[in-house]
Amino acid sequence: MARFSRKIRQAEEEPELNMIPIMNMFMVLIPFLLMSASFFHIKAINTSIPIHAEPPANSIAQKESRKITVVLEIHPDQVRISALSDTPNDLKLTAMETVLPRGSGKEISVAAVSQHLLKMKQQYPDSDTMILIPDEDVTYHEIVRAMDCARSYESEALFPNVVLSGSLG
Amino acid sequence: MALTKRKRLSRTFVPPKLMLTSMMDMFTIILIFLLFSFSEEPEKLQLGKDLELPRSTAEVGYQKALKIILTKNELRINDEVMAQVQDHKIVGLEPQDLKASAFFQRLKSSRAQDVDQPGTAPEASHVLFLCDKSHSFKTINNVIKTAGLAGYPNFQFGVLEEKN
Repeated sequence: MARFSRKIRQAEEEPELNMIPIMNMFMVLIPFLLMSASFFHIKAINTSIPIHAEPPANSIAQKESRKITVVLEIHPDQVRISALSDTPNDLKLTAMETVLPRGSGKEISVAAVSQHLLKMKQQYPDSDTMILIPDEDVTYHEIVRAMDCARSYESEALFPNVVLSGSLG
Repeated sequence: MALTKRKRLSRTFVPPKLMLTSMMDMFTIILIFLLFSFSEEPEKLQLGKDLELPRSTAEVGYQKALKIILTKNELRINDEVMAQVQDHKIVGLEPQDLKASAFFQRLKSSRAQDVDQPGTAPEASHVLFLCDKSHSFKTINNVIKTAGLAGYPNFQFGVLEEKN
C-alpha cells in the first residue's frame, strides 16, 4: 500500500523543464547584443546651405501669406536677431531687431534668444525659416545650441528650417 | 563517533538545485531591451575618442546616408580618410579652391552615383555630418561649402540626444 501511494506521488510531481539549452542561447545572444549595442542615442538636425535656385511657381501665393525670414547672427560678444521680408521698409521688422549679449563663457543665452524668437513667431505664425550666420570663431557646439533655440520653445515650434550661412564680407 | 557522523552527513548530502527562474526572467528582460535598442537605429555609428558630438534637444532620428566625419584629427567620408586636420585646419582644403581637393572629387563621384541610382530622387540626397564639437565655423564652413558645390546642399547634423 505504501509503495503504491509513493508511486502515485512520484507520478503527480511536475516534470522539470530542461532550461540548459535556453540558457545557452541567452549566453550567446546577450554578449553579442551587448557588443553591438549603443548606449548613446544619436539624433539629427536637418539643415541646409544657401544655393542658387529659381523661385517656386507659387511664390505669389506665398507673398500673400505674411512670412518673414529670421536672421540670427552670432558675433564674438553678442547675438543679433533681425528679420527679412518681401515688404520693403517694414517698420514692424525694424522694431523686432535686437542684440543680446553672450555670457562670460561666450555661451548663447538659450532662454533669451528663444523668448525673442517666440515673440517674432507670434507676430508671423506662418514663418518657419531662419538664416544662421555664425562668426568664424563660433564653435560647432554653439551653432547647435543656436539651432536648438530656433527649433522650439516650451513645446511651441518656432523656426525649424535653419539655413547655415557664412557672413558676407 | 565523529567518523560515523561525518559518514552519515555525506550520505544525506543532496546537491542544491539552482533557482533558474529568476535568472531566466532577468535574461529575458535584458534580451528584450537589447533587441529593441538594436533595431532602433538604421545604421551603426562608431564614435572614436577624437570625435565628441555636441548635445542637442533634437528629436529627429538620422537616416542612412553618405557620412562626412570631421574628427579632431581627420576628415573622412564614411571610413575613407580624405584629409588630416592640424590645429583646426583641414590640410589640402583651401577656401580659395575647394574644387581642387580630393574631398570634392570623392563627393562629386558619390553624387554622380546617387543620380544614376534608379528610384532615388536626386534632390532628396543629403549627407550625415558628424563633427567634433570643438571645431570652429571657419573649419566647418569649408567642409559644408565643398559638399554644397558637389551637389549636397542638405545636411543632417549628428548630435547626441540631450534629455530635457
